[in-house]
Amino acid sequence: MNDSIIVIGGGIVGLSCALELRRRGADVTLLETGVCGGQASGAAAGMLAPYSEVPEAPDEFFALCRESLELYPAWQRSVREDSGLDFEYTECGSLYAAYHEADLPALESRLRWQRRHGSSGRILRGAELREAEPGLSGEVRAALWTPQESHVYAPDFVAALKEACLRSGVRIRERLGALELAAWEPRIEARSRGGEVFAAGQAVVCTGAWAGEWSARLGLRIPVQPIRGQICAYEWREERAPLRHMVFCSQGYLVQKANGTLVCGASEDVAGFDTSVTERGIARLMRWNKRVLPALGQAEPFHRWAGLRPATLDGRPLIGRLERAERVLFAAGHYRNGILLSPVTAKLIGDCAEGRPLPDWQRAFRPERFGAAAR
Amino acid sequence: MSGQDRKSKEYGAGEAVKAFTENKRVRSGESASETASAGGGNAAAYAGDTWRIGGLELTSRFFLGTGLFPNPFVQTEAIRVSGAEVLTFAIRRVDLEAAEDDSILQHIEPGAFQFLPNTSGARTAEEAVRIARLARASGLSDWIKVEISADERTLLPDPIETLRATEILVEEGFTVLPYISDDPVICRRLEAAGAAAIMPGGAPIGTGLGILNPYHIGLIAEEAKVPVIVDAGLGTASDAALAMELGAAAVLMNTPVARAQDPVHMALAMKLAIEAGRLAYLSGRTPKKRYASASSGLESLIVE
Repeated sequence: MNDSIIVIGGGIVGLSCALELRRRGADVTLLETGVCGGQASGAAAGMLAPYSEVPEAPDEFFALCRESLELYPAWQRSVREDSGLDFEYTECGSLYAAYHEADLPALESRLRWQRRHGSSGRILRGAELREAEPGLSGEVRAALWTPQESHVYAPDFVAALKEACLRSGVRIRERLGALELAAWEPRIEARSRGGEVFAAGQAVVCTGAWAGEWSARLGLRIPVQPIRGQICAYEWREERAPLRHMVFCSQGYLVQKANGTLVCGASEDVAGFDTSVTERGIARLMRWNKRVLPALGQAEPFHRWAGLRPATLDGRPLIGRLERAERVLFAAGHYRNGILLSPVTAKLIGDCAEGRPLPDWQRAFRPERFGAAAR
Repeated sequence: MSGQDRKSKEYGAGEAVKAFTENKRVRSGESASETASAGGGNAAAYAGDTWRIGGLELTSRFFLGTGLFPNPFVQTEAIRVSGAEVLTFAIRRVDLEAAEDDSILQHIEPGAFQFLPNTSGARTAEEAVRIARLARASGLSDWIKVEISADERTLLPDPIETLRATEILVEEGFTVLPYISDDPVICRRLEAAGAAAIMPGGAPIGTGLGILNPYHIGLIAEEAKVPVIVDAGLGTASDAALAMELGAAAVLMNTPVARAQDPVHMALAMKLAIEAGRLAYLSGRTPKKRYASASSGLESLIVE
């Protein structure tokens, strides 16, 4: 591919697309209004957990998540090699904790379909559960163990992606203030607040929670909303019993990171583009997480933060080429699975940019599925 | 009662909702505050067509489940647009120690809705009763939807266990709404046991197959002295309208709204269909005939 492409947005999705397109031979420029990884990507807990995130049925969204999970080992290795930077990537498996007998039928039926789709999971109870995760509360009746799930330390991974992009020849322009789509025929022209114009053969829109901004310009309904996700982290050094798995429950998740912290997320709410943390948002995490891990006791989190997750109307991302503006591709709206979905999104965008049609089932992610913008 | 009196936020359905409520206000000649206090945005405002469960007077005939929504924004908007006054959820999924901060319930305006918690996941009457007591003890609600599934593949209700649980919970003073198969005889038995409403399924939970046995649903609605609420299996707006045309007092659903491509617009579509179906039921349909009968009479076609 010897086309010129601009990637708009320097979150994990934009960086991954830029790297993939560059590897396929395109001339790539990445444009970022702020700094790379400054929004949802930098705030993410980095859970790579499609089996825990999609408990109901093996639909197209699950298939996308699973494909991405399976791409991860090789993808993260290549990012490590290309960047020369290190980051945590831990294949530790997960536990989904159930507190009621009445949770078991749902866990069992979930396990049944997930075992047909790549999980080698089991339901653990009693002594077996205590042995697998000794710190878990006695209130937990049973847990669904999914060995396939893993996690990555998102801030370091994003930094490595950026470095890999730079070393492979992607031009990265940050702090552009604002970007407007000045033209998309006969070529793409994006204009920065300072009046600088970037021209290319194609553009990939990876602007996350801000993806709706070009809705009117493109005449397209792009229903992406920011959902604030609040997270807190505890010091969790050697003297603490380690948490061996990522642990999920109906209220959120806990994960121990290699840097000696325990991350607990997330409280979601609707607060526009406000990224401040609230007393209530963190207090509810601190209330339920003791019922998962009693060792949290009176512990106070040392760090609290929030990110904006780009949520679409149907919960699925927008991935693919526009029919009404053929030089424009979308890779946005990944909600709380942006880190997980970044490798598969990069692969699909690479295929799209090369003019290959996407497989039929991926029409579920067509960016134009919500119709035209209201006049 | 519901969030209707909150300002309609601009978002997709916003325009349609606003146009709809304003139109109604003009036609019914009510003030905005009267409309809001009556539940708002509802066909009942035309005819004073309210109904009751236990001691509670209701205007909306749309019970909405709170699960499965893709995110809190879509959930909140869909609930607002639906005009629902009663919301349901699985007790096992809720953090009963701090329900107001539960991952799902935290997004619902406190005190604005009647909660109808359900016992999903229970496999026996004893388990359902235990779950119901937990919910009441937490102060969430003394309404309970008895849901006892016989197996995970069909999630069809176990009628024997459901009847036993209903008897026990009625005895303990709960307002009991059992989810049950569309069998007129077991529905009669549940009513006799003191159920405050009967909730026959249209089709198995989450299938979206619509009303598989309209004859039974019609018969159940015709015979019952308590409200009949068609619960589960609906797929789209015409299914909801059919339930109401068959004489159901209300409709309960979750999947068809939460898993639509646009849940907010689908919530509005369902609300309108429920109101249309209810009005059609009250208005008395024309009889079906085998052959054509011209609406203006054949003689009008003769040219002098």
